[in-house]
Amino acid sequence: MKEFMTGNHAIANAVRLCRTPLIAAYPITPQTSIYEKLSDWEASGVLKGIMMRTESEHSAMASCIAASLTGVRTFTATSSQGLALMHEMLHFASGCRAPVVMANVNRLLAAPWGFWADQTDSLSQRDTGWIQFYAENGQEALDSVIQAYKIAEQVYLPAMVAIEAFFVSHFMEPIDLPDQDAVDRFLPPLDLPHRFNIDKPGYLVPVVPQELYREYKHMAFLSMDSVKEIAVKVDREYKEEFGRGYGIIEPFMFDDAEIVLVTAGSITSTARVAIKSLRDDGYKVGLLKIRLFRPFPREAACAALLGKKKVGVIDRNISIGSGGIFCQELRGALLGIAPQPLTYSYIAGIGGSDVDVETIRKVAFDVMKRTEPKEEAIWIKEDF
Amino acid sequence: MNHPLIQENKFVIPISYGSTEVIDTGKWGFQKPHTQFMTAPCQESCPAGNNIPQFLYLAQKGEYGNALLTILKENPFPGICGRVCFHPCEVSCNRDKYDESVSISALERYIFDTTSDQVPNLNPVQNVNGRGVAVVGSGPAGLSCAYFLRLLGHKVTVFEAYKEAGGIMTYVIPGYRLPKAIVKKEIDRMIALGIEIKTGAKVGRDITLDALNEYDAVFLSIGAGIESPLGIEGEAFEKVMHGLDFLKRINSGSSIPGGQDVIVVGGGNTAMDVARSSIRNGCRVTIAYRRGRAEMPAIKDEIDDTEEEGARFEFLIQPVRIKMLSDKRLAVEFQRMKLGEPDASGRPRAIPVEGTDFIMETDYLITATGENVDLVSLPTDLIKNGLVYVDNFLRTKNAKMFAGGDVVDQPRTIVTAIGAGKKAAISIDLYLKGVSPEKMFSGIRVGDKGSISFEAYTSGGRFEMNRAAQKVVTFDKLNTLYFEHTSRVKKRKLSREASLKSFQEVNLGLSAEEATTSVSRCFTCGTCNYCYNCYFFCPEGVIALDPIKGTKYVDYEHCKGCGTCAKSCPRNVVVMKEL
Repeated sequence: MKEFMTGNHAIANAVRLCRTPLIAAYPITPQTSIYEKLSDWEASGVLKGIMMRTESEHSAMASCIAASLTGVRTFTATSSQGLALMHEMLHFASGCRAPVVMANVNRLLAAPWGFWADQTDSLSQRDTGWIQFYAENGQEALDSVIQAYKIAEQVYLPAMVAIEAFFVSHFMEPIDLPDQDAVDRFLPPLDLPHRFNIDKPGYLVPVVPQELYREYKHMAFLSMDSVKEIAVKVDREYKEEFGRGYGIIEPFMFDDAEIVLVTAGSITSTARVAIKSLRDDGYKVGLLKIRLFRPFPREAACAALLGKKKVGVIDRNISIGSGGIFCQELRGALLGIAPQPLTYSYIAGIGGSDVDVETIRKVAFDVMKRTEPKEEAIWIKEDF
Repeated sequence: MNHPLIQENKFVIPISYGSTEVIDTGKWGFQKPHTQFMTAPCQESCPAGNNIPQFLYLAQKGEYGNALLTILKENPFPGICGRVCFHPCEVSCNRDKYDESVSISALERYIFDTTSDQVPNLNPVQNVNGRGVAVVGSGPAGLSCAYFLRLLGHKVTVFEAYKEAGGIMTYVIPGYRLPKAIVKKEIDRMIALGIEIKTGAKVGRDITLDALNEYDAVFLSIGAGIESPLGIEGEAFEKVMHGLDFLKRINSGSSIPGGQDVIVVGGGNTAMDVARSSIRNGCRVTIAYRRGRAEMPAIKDEIDDTEEEGARFEFLIQPVRIKMLSDKRLAVEFQRMKLGEPDASGRPRAIPVEGTDFIMETDYLITATGENVDLVSLPTDLIKNGLVYVDNFLRTKNAKMFAGGDVVDQPRTIVTAIGAGKKAAISIDLYLKGVSPEKMFSGIRVGDKGSISFEAYTSGGRFEMNRAAQKVVTFDKLNTLYFEHTSRVKKRKLSREASLKSFQEVNLGLSAEEATTSVSRCFTCGTCNYCYNCYFFCPEGVIALDPIKGTKYVDYEHCKGCGTCAKSCPRNVVVMKEL
């Protein structure tokens, strides 16, 4: 059954369907409607669990970690400044191997202040040991939250599903809500190992010697690496149950493409339209969407791009001093193949600025005309 | 993943269940530092259980008097061992794995020599239950046993067959290796302790076994004083001498051959002593040994010195017949040998090669092929295979009789004999108290090679409460980043000309400067020397040290268990233990 709803409400529905017994969160625009929806449901009895209204995002994450270690599924949602405030606890979640699931609504980071779409908030948490998915629309966000639980609870690492502010969080679209029975089959209620017992108080994560710390990090690294396979498997199972699957990367009009544009998140939808129009004009242009960012799907990306001549990566994010973050990661991954495609970095949509079909067509033409490598990022503005 | 703490469950997280005064829900750390004394490998391999790291630590501080006292707690003969011990300590020294081993033997000698005008403050304990013990034989085993028994408050009478006390130390080892004045000084210290030494009193001749039985306990340490015969034709000629007799004559001032040809048969320390003594009397010396150089049982330094002083070595030959020539010289017929499979001692068997006989002429032939025990005066029921048979605690079949040294089956070295004397003294003390020895000996052991600590015994088996003290610090446990590579100080010797003209001591020992350099090279494995690394590197400032009082303190309320102190400890004194 399809319902017309925002991306935020699609995520709230996913949390409800996963029967998450502990939610701890703090409101922040543009995430607040997730928080409000879950609060409503708690009040009306639709949600059977506890909704903790904490005094900060830092405390929200701390609550999720502690609850997760006592054995229950947990959820929180945040955005931008809230995620930044959580930063310390993000490391604790992955360090404690707590499979917390979080929705992050990508909003620019102050200063200057603003509420607009920008992926830099979650991308600047890329080294915290969290699994990260970037969803293209509300439907994918809902499906990704359910998948995220199934993956996180196998590898004991926390997972984040990111959607862009307003473009996904507040736009309404028809959402196919899965049956509760089907979700229960796919994601049965579970009892995580009780690694923290309130009857036997202890101090979590005490000081460890150097070599022991190294071992814990190496284990987390290996577990994270295994997500690449597990995420593909979970997505396949999901498709069998619900009829929708996304892959960890998605090629679009790709096989005979001579140049490839790479996108993540909501720009992908616009890019699909742009690519189709370019095809209509006779250009052999394809699209590669990156859905899983952590762990970075290095092998899959290399296999897809092997033999492609030129690649243009569009980033709605910026690492000041370096460039587009998806482009950095992709360039790093492509070191694994030879010959390497010429890879160009385009910074587009920063601070929620619009990336329309015409902009993407311009990017494609820019890639087409280039013959020499160019390392520095190309900023897309009105005069591009 | 191979870390022992996280092998089992890959999703385990660290958690501590301790508590502090302020926070009762747990501590920062799951491990805490502890300081502990550990056994150094030198100490473990010393048959006398000498506390080497401790006395070298004191010497590092310049406290030579205290260093001497520390040695005397475990070894009554630092002046002698510092000269003639085969020093297994230097072989097992951890520093040997880093650059070169510490000059332990030379330092022991230096400590003795430099404090020789001091009277060490040694006093027997007041023991109201002190009993009378007889010690038969005043060699290193006998005197060591007497010394430790006396320190335990027993009344000790030593019976010595010869005119002077000291056994092998007095009568066998020549003065150029061990000056008689040194031996006298060591023995005088014993007499000052109240040990009665009756010289010229041979059991069976001057004192009967029945008289010995009057004592509460008896320690038999008569040594192995009889040269084993070659068993060949011509052995009875006057110019065929036994090595032990030869050395006893030198050490008693009697005349020995001079300016003539001497063949010495044997490859042990006695053979080397005979050869070097003969060289000093102007003789031309050939050493005939039935195996190869590598198989010679003598201390390697002694072999090298003997060769340097001009002795000629003939390997893989054995005498088979001795004839007297018309000019009274000897014609010794030798047979060539070859090496075969290892025998019971682990050395390759020497096998005669038929038809290889040849003659060497000489003025004297001196045999030094091993010594046997003079069994005549001993109770026959104690004997097995030509030796007195004892158990692990040096007890014989006769409950009040104990034995040790060369008279029992053990390696024939001075330091082994000293260790046996100590062991026997404790065994006798326990026997007189009616206590069974097993548990105590286990509690006072020093490492795992059979040595024991007298200090641990007198402090009531202190080591029993601290098992770690018996564990040995291996090289990989040290943090050698704190040590600079340095070389051993080369031994200084008397000039060759001066050496060969007299029986003056050849090894000159260390100068004050050399001693300081040498002692600073000791890692003092397992012994805290207050280097302050733990104090300086502790990120929390929770460590307090007081070298004057000898205390170390960790504020566990504020220690986070990071382990930096243990990592930075060069000598494995600070270790981390899980809560």
